[in-house]
Amino acid sequence: MTHVLVPVAILEGGTVSPGLMNLLGTVDVTVLGYHVLPEQTPPDQARLQYEDHATDALEDLTDEFRTAGGAADSRLVFTHDREQTVERVADEIGANALAISGPTGDVERVLVSLSGDVAVERILSFVAELVGDRDIGVTLFLVTEEEATTQRLESAAERLRRDGISVQTTVVASDSPFEALIDEVPGHDAVIMGEKAPSFRSLVFGEESDRVASASVGPVLVVRSAETLDT
Amino acid sequence: MSDQPTGTNIEGDAPVVETVVETDEATVTDDAELERTLGLIGGLAIGIGTMIGAGIFVFPGLAGAEVGTAATVSFAVSGVVALLVALPTSELATAMPKSGGGYYFISRGLGTLAGTVVGLSLWLGLVFATAFYLVGLGFYALDALALVGVSVGASPGVIVSALAVLFGIGFTVLNVTGTENAAKLQNGIVALLLSMLVAFLAFGMFDVLGVIGTKPSGGTEADQWAALPILSTAALVFTSYLGFAQVATVAGEMKRPGRNLPVAMIGSVVIVTVMYVLTIFVATSVFDRNQLGQFGETAMVEIGRELLGVGGAFVIVGGGLLATMSSANASILSTSRAIYGVSKDALLPRWASRINLRYGTPHVALGMAGGPIIVLAATREVQLLAEVASFLHLIMYGLICVALVAIRRDEPEWYDPAFRVPGGPAIPVVGAVSSFGLIAFMDPRSIAVGAVVILATAGWYLYYARDVKLRGVL
Repeated sequence: MTHVLVPVAILEGGTVSPGLMNLLGTVDVTVLGYHVLPEQTPPDQARLQYEDHATDALEDLTDEFRTAGGAADSRLVFTHDREQTVERVADEIGANALAISGPTGDVERVLVSLSGDVAVERILSFVAELVGDRDIGVTLFLVTEEEATTQRLESAAERLRRDGISVQTTVVASDSPFEALIDEVPGHDAVIMGEKAPSFRSLVFGEESDRVASASVGPVLVVRSAETLDT
Repeated sequence: MSDQPTGTNIEGDAPVVETVVETDEATVTDDAELERTLGLIGGLAIGIGTMIGAGIFVFPGLAGAEVGTAATVSFAVSGVVALLVALPTSELATAMPKSGGGYYFISRGLGTLAGTVVGLSLWLGLVFATAFYLVGLGFYALDALALVGVSVGASPGVIVSALAVLFGIGFTVLNVTGTENAAKLQNGIVALLLSMLVAFLAFGMFDVLGVIGTKPSGGTEADQWAALPILSTAALVFTSYLGFAQVATVAGEMKRPGRNLPVAMIGSVVIVTVMYVLTIFVATSVFDRNQLGQFGETAMVEIGRELLGVGGAFVIVGGGLLATMSSANASILSTSRAIYGVSKDALLPRWASRINLRYGTPHVALGMAGGPIIVLAATREVQLLAEVASFLHLIMYGLICVALVAIRRDEPEWYDPAFRVPGGPAIPVVGAVSSFGLIAFMDPRSIAVGAVVILATAGWYLYYARDVKLRGVL
């Protein structure tokens, strides 16, 4: 079964939009409630004070995921380092993808970026699993300057169409893959990309100002690459 | 021995203890996980960063003034004592990788009375140590002002106190309100200091051995090669080695504790011992006893000037400022963790470990560290502050060794350290004897102050927490 990790800053009002919950209704979800502490504060000390409150909030959120359809469980972590925690838990549960929440309504069309050195087959099977037999359209998106790679895009589209998914493709020539992706977002309700995609890190793990970008694109699903799953 | 703590303190609070699973990457409790985020480099930076400020930048003048070149032996003796304690501490820390360090081992191994005495004297010992670092910082800040041509008039002592107090307030406020991650900064400062010192020492060694430059001006006729003054100087400079056990106070946050804790503790002691001995050798070769005595706390600046001219003085002043700052800051952080460890076990009021809702920092514990530090720093009593800090730590170090022997004698089921001290009880026994023994060589005034603190903590146990049972509780 496809497994998605959803990190949420549980004590800072972090929530998951109903649109994303519905989108993830076809897969197993682990909600990772985390709280990042300044280094002066031992995680254990913060836990004594915050644990009850955090557990309540996390249980409510996990229940909402169950109501939306999929199997859901939760983990609560107090940490000094968000990135390390997200990667550790993703490894432990063998997550196929991470979901970074962002505002969205009902998801009708998702934007799937195949730019960069990403594991196309993993992304496609994840998309097929996620969409299932629902009426969600897919736009396959590729930033390239070579003619040959557009061939890759067409065979990818064929692969998804065989699963009965409505697919369209967009190829853009640009030397800034990240901006090209952001420009393409209007008309889509969520973005799916590979872990090795350009700018993935700044969207998911970046500084606050970079993550503002993710707020403007709505939810982002990051399909993890095989190498990170193995190590 | 039971696995559950029993009894409550005078307010009716019981210790917070529960079964947890420790992995290399996190501590897993019933409902939550606590990420371990500190690596080996971070651990070494805490150990070395705490230690190096005092040993290299404050003590060469004071120790050299006592015994001259023989101070190299004093530093070596202190280093060996520190190593004898670092080994047992490493074993216990890998068996119990929790916040609180030495306090935790002793309360579990020897019971609540010893635990309370050590827990509270660890807090107060760190307070004395931090005040000492701040006074050192004050002296260096004064020299920095003098170097850039700011004259301070007739009462430099008052200026040093004022600077020490100001820095003390500054660090406390920064730790309460600052949410930026300063760990990387600390690592960088330690790396910078180490490379500066290696370059300086290499040059100094060549110079005093006559490979380059002129023969040093310092004589050797005033050196004191006698056991008693060497040992009493060792007791004074032992404060230079207090950092390694601070690594144990963050044991709960260390990745791969079974490997990283012993390597960080033993490694930092070995590294700083070598640096100290070389520094003292260079310092006491460049100047003789009487000259070092006149230069006092910032004698290193004059040594830099003698070896490398005014540029050398600038380098040493800059290094001294950075080193004493990193020592003071790291110690304030350790102090707040020490208070938390004790408060969690109901030996101090629970509110002592409250976390500030606005900043997410332990403001009460940081205040309980910063307040007394500021008062003590104003006294400017370098030797007293240093020796009382050493006294309180040495009591803990000795008891850590005793606790190791006690725990090993009737080894509980949960006791499974990743690192074991070789040679049976030999090292912990010698460690305990030498820790307690070093106290005997201190100034009587320091011993008196230290003894009063110990009695006060024992009194606190009888008043506040005599019904709490912690022995054997995991």
